[in-house]
Amino acid sequence: MFVYLGRRLNLLFITLLILCIASYTLAFLFPGDPLTNLSGNPTTSDDQTQQLRMMYALDNGYIAGFWQYLKLTLSGEWGQSLTSQNPIFSDICQFLPASLELSLYAMAVSLLIGIPLGIVAGLNHRRYTDMGILSVSLIGFSMPVFWLALLLILVFALQWGGLPMSGRVSLIYDIPHQTGFMLVDILRADIANKQQVLMDALHHLFLPTLALSIVTSSLVIRLTRRSVINVMGSDYIKAAYAKGLSRTQVFWHHGMKNALLPIMPQLAMQFTVLLTNAMIVEVIFSWPGIGEWMIQAIYQRDFPAIRGGMLAVSALVVIVTISVDLLIRMIYPLSKKQLHAQV
Amino acid sequence: MPKSSFYDEEFYPSPVRQTWNEFQRNHIALAGLWCLGFFVLLVLLGPWFLPFGPLDQNTDAILLPPAWDANGDVTHLFGTDGIGRDLLTRVVHGCQITFGVSFFLVLLAMLVGCSIGAYAGMSHGLRASIINHLLDAIMAIPTLLIAIIIVAILGTGLMNSMWAITLALIPQFIHHTRDMVRGEYRKEYVTAARLDGASDARIFFHSILPNMIEMLVVKATMALSVAILDISALGFLNLGAQSPSPELGAMLSDALETAYVAPWSISLPGAAIFLMVLSINLVGDGLRTALKNRVNQ
Repeated sequence: MFVYLGRRLNLLFITLLILCIASYTLAFLFPGDPLTNLSGNPTTSDDQTQQLRMMYALDNGYIAGFWQYLKLTLSGEWGQSLTSQNPIFSDICQFLPASLELSLYAMAVSLLIGIPLGIVAGLNHRRYTDMGILSVSLIGFSMPVFWLALLLILVFALQWGGLPMSGRVSLIYDIPHQTGFMLVDILRADIANKQQVLMDALHHLFLPTLALSIVTSSLVIRLTRRSVINVMGSDYIKAAYAKGLSRTQVFWHHGMKNALLPIMPQLAMQFTVLLTNAMIVEVIFSWPGIGEWMIQAIYQRDFPAIRGGMLAVSALVVIVTISVDLLIRMIYPLSKKQLHAQV
Repeated sequence: MPKSSFYDEEFYPSPVRQTWNEFQRNHIALAGLWCLGFFVLLVLLGPWFLPFGPLDQNTDAILLPPAWDANGDVTHLFGTDGIGRDLLTRVVHGCQITFGVSFFLVLLAMLVGCSIGAYAGMSHGLRASIINHLLDAIMAIPTLLIAIIIVAILGTGLMNSMWAITLALIPQFIHHTRDMVRGEYRKEYVTAARLDGASDARIFFHSILPNMIEMLVVKATMALSVAILDISALGFLNLGAQSPSPELGAMLSDALETAYVAPWSISLPGAAIFLMVLSINLVGDGLRTALKNRVNQ
């Protein structure tokens, strides 16, 4: 186990290092002056330029420069955005929680919908229930998420008019930024009509979460269904039936755990897919998250921001993936047999 | 010795034939195949049957609803968009761009991915281990995210987004090929070929590849649906194909301004993407089930 832990941590470390190297190299590959791409500070005076060159150790060769860059990155000095001149690190700290919040809720909803439906479909293999659920999930799975979001806006926001189509909370409320998670912030904020604001925020959450979770829950349904079918066809289930156990007993005592545990890593991987979809959905719903922020940066050719955003998002994805993998290896005994790297 | 009866001779279908027979038993998948065939025909022949060009503007008919609407007109079957371009023409040309581009992307990614995967699968030691570990880390990152990052580096445009998605798809093919080659390499028929003195290249092309091709087709259909979704998503975000181009995603983002007065200009191009992806997924699922049934027999 410790060998495995070491191996995974090693992989995590190396991947993050490679991401850092990539983001450092990008500063030289992007058009324009490497110094401006690193610092995001379009310097005017020679004095300032000299100071920045010292700070990034640009004159001491690439290795020393990278070492310096690594130290600055770890201490939270990610440079400034070219367009807004805000420090990138604090921008990311502000926008990333919004994306995470959206993705977490969507993930929770899709697990709550997807797993039970997948189990029902798997238990009724080759019956009408199964076919119905499978077709619905295939439709959800084939739906482009941006089109789905637009359709939801057309139906719920424009035709029906009951739900808001953009933003996180109505502009008339002023919620101070604390954790970045809107619902938590509202609960912690010192405002008069908390109930009302909370309802408003939930209304704003509804459509983006729905758009995201339709796509993800269809993936979850397919994964769960396949695993349940495999487990229910295996020999120990037949043995359990032969012992005279009832259907419910067999499923709850023998089927459930064995079906759900092996697909946990794959289910957790859906989070990264979800985060990417969330980046698109944010653009449509004007949700002030990391996706919206990064795509604006791409439009404006704001290289320091692109670099920072890329580093943050990919590091987050890699960290989530590897830690989920580790966690599941610890809980799930069968996987200890295959300690070598496999995803 | 009695002559064996010609008519009672048992008929053994070839593996491909068996897969096809299995596939045919799944009616939904067959419907998907017909639908996919329709799209392929549309992409190949469609533009020749259309009276308008994708960029032609008819200023007399701006924001005309589809023909089935009360105010619609049959000359523009799907209606027109905000500057009077015929929507049917644009959707057909859009399918051509989106589908055609994705098809070539997947082909290219498959070629490159398989070569690297075969190499990784047949080599051992530190080099293979490094490739494998890195791949596992990259595989975890969704293709669209990789594509967005690559587009951010290369700059926007259809060509750049094509490169981005190709690069993003390659790791999956490497991964699957490597696993498959690894698995087959341990089997006895490969050992037999090796004992006969076959080189690695010969083993790969004559023994392993024929066993792998069906799996590759299944993976390619999945990659195709991912590629279509990704390229239209990039087009929609204005990172891929740029505005006047009738790429389906770019069309959707064009239509955003008139979404309220002309909902059909959003629903129809999106429905085209949806149907394409759905039919590809149906065929992919059907093929996978057929393959599994054949192997289990």
